[in-house]
Amino acid sequence: MTEIYPSLAQCAVVAAALKILLFPAYKSTDFEVHRNWLAITNTLPLWEWYYEKTSEWTLDYPPLFAYFEWTVSQVAKLVDPAMLKVYNVEYESWQTVYFQRFTVIITELLLVYALQMFVDSSHGASKRAAHAAAISILLSPGLLIIDHIHFQYNGCMYGILIASLVLARNKSTMLWSGLLFAALLCMKHIYLYLAPAYFVFLLRAYCLSPKSIFRIQFLNCVKLGAGIAAIFGTAFGPFALKGQIPQIFSRLFPFSRGLCHAYWAPNVWAMYSFIDRVLIVLAPRIGLSVKEGALQSVTRGLVGDTSFAVLPDVTPRVCFALTLVFQAIPLLKLFSQATWDNFIGAVTLCGYASFLFGWHVHEKAVLLVIIPFSLIALRDRRYLGAFRPLAVAGHVSLFPLLFTPAEFPIKTVYTVFWLILFLMAFDRLAPASSRARFFLFDRFSTMYITISIPLIVYCSLVHGVVFGKSYEFLPLMFTSSYSAIGVVGSWVGFMVVYFTS
Amino acid sequence: MARSSPSPHKPRRKPKQAGYATSSLSNVSTVETMARTPAFPLAAFLWPARGTVSQWELLPLILMAVGLFRWAAGLWGYSGFEKPPIFGDYEAQRHWMEITTQLPISQWYFHDLQWWGLDYPPLTAYHSWLCGKIGSLIDPSWFALFSSRGSHDPTLKVFMRATVIVSEYLIYVPAVVVFVRRYSRLSGVANWSASVALVAILMQPATILIDHVHFQYNTVMLGLVVASMSSMLAGRNLWAAVFFVAALGFKQMALYYAFSVFAYLLGSCVFPRINLPRLIAIAAVTAVSFVILILPFVIGTLSDLKSGIDSRPDIDGPRPPLPLFQGLADYLDTEAFYYPVVEQLVQMVHRIFPFARGLFEDKVANFWCALNVLVKINKYPAELLQRGALLATLASIIPPNLVLFFRPRRELLPLAFASTAWGFFLFSYQVHEKSVLLPLMPMTLLLAGSHGLNKNNRTWVGFANILGCWTMFPLLQRVDLAMPYTVLTLLWAYLLGLPPTSLGVYFHEGGNTWSQWVTAFIHGAFYLAMALWHVLAQSVRPPPDKPDLWVVANVGIGAAGFSLCYLWCVGRLVVQSEILPRSWFGKKDKAKTQ
Repeated sequence: MTEIYPSLAQCAVVAAALKILLFPAYKSTDFEVHRNWLAITNTLPLWEWYYEKTSEWTLDYPPLFAYFEWTVSQVAKLVDPAMLKVYNVEYESWQTVYFQRFTVIITELLLVYALQMFVDSSHGASKRAAHAAAISILLSPGLLIIDHIHFQYNGCMYGILIASLVLARNKSTMLWSGLLFAALLCMKHIYLYLAPAYFVFLLRAYCLSPKSIFRIQFLNCVKLGAGIAAIFGTAFGPFALKGQIPQIFSRLFPFSRGLCHAYWAPNVWAMYSFIDRVLIVLAPRIGLSVKEGALQSVTRGLVGDTSFAVLPDVTPRVCFALTLVFQAIPLLKLFSQATWDNFIGAVTLCGYASFLFGWHVHEKAVLLVIIPFSLIALRDRRYLGAFRPLAVAGHVSLFPLLFTPAEFPIKTVYTVFWLILFLMAFDRLAPASSRARFFLFDRFSTMYITISIPLIVYCSLVHGVVFGKSYEFLPLMFTSSYSAIGVVGSWVGFMVVYFTS
Repeated sequence: MARSSPSPHKPRRKPKQAGYATSSLSNVSTVETMARTPAFPLAAFLWPARGTVSQWELLPLILMAVGLFRWAAGLWGYSGFEKPPIFGDYEAQRHWMEITTQLPISQWYFHDLQWWGLDYPPLTAYHSWLCGKIGSLIDPSWFALFSSRGSHDPTLKVFMRATVIVSEYLIYVPAVVVFVRRYSRLSGVANWSASVALVAILMQPATILIDHVHFQYNTVMLGLVVASMSSMLAGRNLWAAVFFVAALGFKQMALYYAFSVFAYLLGSCVFPRINLPRLIAIAAVTAVSFVILILPFVIGTLSDLKSGIDSRPDIDGPRPPLPLFQGLADYLDTEAFYYPVVEQLVQMVHRIFPFARGLFEDKVANFWCALNVLVKINKYPAELLQRGALLATLASIIPPNLVLFFRPRRELLPLAFASTAWGFFLFSYQVHEKSVLLPLMPMTLLLAGSHGLNKNNRTWVGFANILGCWTMFPLLQRVDLAMPYTVLTLLWAYLLGLPPTSLGVYFHEGGNTWSQWVTAFIHGAFYLAMALWHVLAQSVRPPPDKPDLWVVANVGIGAAGFSLCYLWCVGRLVVQSEILPRSWFGKKDKAKTQ
C-alpha cells in the first residue's frame, strides 16, 4: 500500500506551529477556569474538590477530568508554582499561558493517534477518503477556535471518542470501545448525549447474539458490566464513600440555567426564538397578545431566563422529551442492523437530536455532531450532501465565540481555508451513491453555502459601519438563525440518508 | 487529500483544463515531479495537487495559509513594546503616520528629529500618509500630534499589523507570484514545482519575523524590487526601471541592488549589439520616475511657502546653512523662490543617508564588525574607514556585476542580485542586521529556478536563510520574541527538509560525492555552532569583562557563513553564465566549494 501524503504527522507538526504562534491570542474565561481547577486539585484534598468555591469557576467536570487536572498540575508545579494557588484568581504569568496552551497541544496528540487508528482501520478504496476525513478533523477550525484560542481540552477528549468509535469496528475490540467511552463519560458528561447510541449498539452487537436477540451472551455482559463498574467506581468511588455524590451532581447538572445560552446555539430553539422576535412585531397586526415582561429580555436570554413574548414557553421537560424521541428513532434502525456504519450514523444523529432540542445547549457542542459525522461523510455523495451545510453552519456559528478584532482574520480566514480545501477534496473523493440523489437537496446546499459569504461580510463589517454599537444583537441573531437553518437542514437530509441506505 | 487519485465516479463538473498547461511542460518536468514520494514535507503538502489541480484553485489556498501564519505571528509583541522612553521601529512607523497626516508636507523632514524623525525616502512618507489617513478614520487619537507618542493601544496594534499585511499582499505577494511564474517558465520548471517554491519563498522566516513580528515594511521595498526583476524577465526594461526607482524611493536600502539593475539594463543595451534608443529610453524613464517621486515635495514646499507656512517653525531668525553640500549656497541665491526647494531636497538627502554615523552601529554579522573583534578598527580615523569600506564593497560587487554586464541573461538575475547584495551587506557602511533580508530575497527566489528544489540548491538557500534568522536572534530576543523565532525558523527548516529537522538533504545519490561531503561538513559545522550557541547563550552568563561575548560570537559565525554564501552565489553565477572557457570549470567549481 503506497503512503498517502501529506501524512497525519506532517499535518500535526505544521498545525502545532500555527497553534504555538497563537499563544498570545485572546483567551476566554475558560482559561482561568482550568487554571483554577489545576490549583484546586493540586492544593486541596480530594474531599474538598467539589465544595471549593473561592473562584466563581467551580469544578464542574466529572472526577476523571479532575484527576487529569491533578496529573497536569504535577508538571505545573515545576513551571510556575504561583498558578497553583487557589486564591490567585485571574493569574496569568507568561509561564502559565505557555504551560496551559502547551498542555492543550500535547494532549491533542491523542487525537492524532486516534485518527491514525481510524485511517489504519479503513481498507481499500475508502482509505484515501478516511485519510482526508482524518486530516479534516485534525485541522478542524472548530478545534482550533475552541481549544487553541478560546481554550479547552476538546481535542484530547474527541481523540478518546474517536478511538472508542474505531475500536467498535472490530468484534474483538468492542469491549474496549465500551470501556473507553465509559472513561470518557467520567471526564466530560456532555458525551452522555451520545450514550444512547453506545448503549443500543453494545447491547445488540456485543451483549446479544448476532443471530437472535433472545440469546444473551452472558460472558460479554459480565465483562462489559464489570469493566464499566470498575471505571465508574474509580472515578466516583472515593467521593461516594464520603457521600458527596449529590454535591457532584448538583455541580455537573445545573438545571437553573435558561433554555438558550447567552448567544443562541444554532438549534431549533434559536429558530423558535427568532420566530418569537418576528412575532413581537407582527403580533399587534394579527391580533396575538404579547407578554409585556418578556419584551425586556429580548435576546438577552441571560442565564436563568428566556421568556417568549408570543410563543408558549418551553420547559426542560419538553426539551428532554423531544431529544429522547428524536434519538430513539435512529436507534430503532441501529438495533435492527447493528453495523459499524449505522452505529456512527446513530451516534451522529444522537448528537444532532441533543444539539437541536437540548436545554441550554452551548454552540461549542456542535462538534459533537460534526466530528462523528466526518468519519462517514465520505461514504458516498449523498452523505456528503448532508454534511456540507453542517460543515458551513457549524463552523460559522462558532464565530461569535471570538469577538476581538485581532482574532477576526484568524477565525474567518482559517475557516474559509478549511471549507474550500476540504469541501473541494471531499467532492473529488466521495464516490457516487448507488441510489438517486433526492430532489433539489444539492441545490439547497449550494445556495445555502453561497449565502454565508454576504452574511459574514454583513455581520463582521457592514453592521459595524452602519449601526456602530447599536443593535448589537442583530448580527448574532442572523448568524445563529442562519446556522440553525443549516444544521436543521443537514439533520433532515442525513435522517433521510440514514434511513434509506 | 489525495485528489490525484482516479475517482471511482464520474465527476459532474469536468475538471478544469489547467492540466494541459502542465503537460506541455512535462517534457522538462523536474526530478521532484517524477519522484514517487515527496522529497521533503512541503512537497508532501502539495502532493495531492500534482497534475489535476488548477493553479487558480491552489493559489488562493496558498495565499490564505501563508497569510494565517503572518497574522498569527503578528499577535506577538513588536519592537519597542512598552519600552519607554523611545520605544522602537513600531513607534517610528506610527510616528511617521502621525507627522505626515498632521503637518504640512514641507515640515515632514524637519519635524522634531530627535523623536524618530523621518529618515526614509518620500514613498515611505506617502505610504505613511495613506495609512495614517485610513487609521484616523477609525480612531483619530492614534495619530494625534504629540499626544499619540508611544501609544500601545491594542486596537492600534491590530491596525498597524493590518497595514503591513495589506501592503505586502498588494505589492510583495503579487510580485513574487508573477516572478515565480515567469522565472519557472523561463527555467522550464513544472507548475507544481513552482507552487512548492512559491510557498517556500512566502514562508521565508526572516521576512515574516522582521515585518510582521518585529515590525517594518521591508516587503514593500522588496516587492518593488521583485516587480522590477519580474519586468526584466518579461523583457519590459522600462517598467523595471520604474519599479526600481519606486523601490529606492521607498527605502534607500534598495541601493544594495542598484549595481545589478544598472549592470543588467546597461548590458541589455550593449549586448548582443549596441542599442542606443533603448539606453536613452531607460535613462529618460528613470529620470522622469525620480521627478515624479519628489514632485509632491517640490509642489508642496512651494505652495506651503505661498501660504506662509514655515518648514521649520521652531527656528527663529536667519535660516541655518544647508546640512550637506554647503558649497551650493555660494552659487545659489538664498532669497530666491527656489531656494526652499533646494533646502528641502538637501535635507531629504541628509536624512536618508546619515554619512555622519559610524562604520557600523550595532553588532551586525558583516565583515567590519567581525574584524572589529580581532582588531579594534574604531581607533582608525573615520575617513580611512569609509574609504576602506568603499573599496572593499566595490571589490566585492564588481566581479558579479561584470559578469551580468557581459552576459545580461534573465536566468542570472537572482544570482547576480544576491551576490551584489551579499557584497554590500558584508563590506559596506552602516549595515543593520535586518539588512540581511536583502541578499536573502533573491537567493530564496532561486528555489523557483531550474533545479531550484533539488538538494544542492536547497542546502545553500536553506543554510543562508537559517543563518540569517539566527543572526537576528539577539535583535528579536531583546523584545522577547524567542518563541516566534523558534517556531517560524524550525517550521521552514522542517518544510524544506533542512537541518536541524532533517539531514537527508546532504546525502543524495548521483552528483559529486566529494563536494557533497565538503558541503555537509562545512554546513554541519555551522549548524552545530548555531545550536551550541543557543545552548550557551541560554545557560551560561558571559564573563563580566566581556558582556557582549555571545553577541560577538554570533556576529563572527554569521559573517563567516555569509561570506560562504557570497562565494557560492558568485561561483554559481560564474558557472551558469558560462563566461569562462569550459576547460576551467572543473577547477573553478571545486575552488568554490572549499
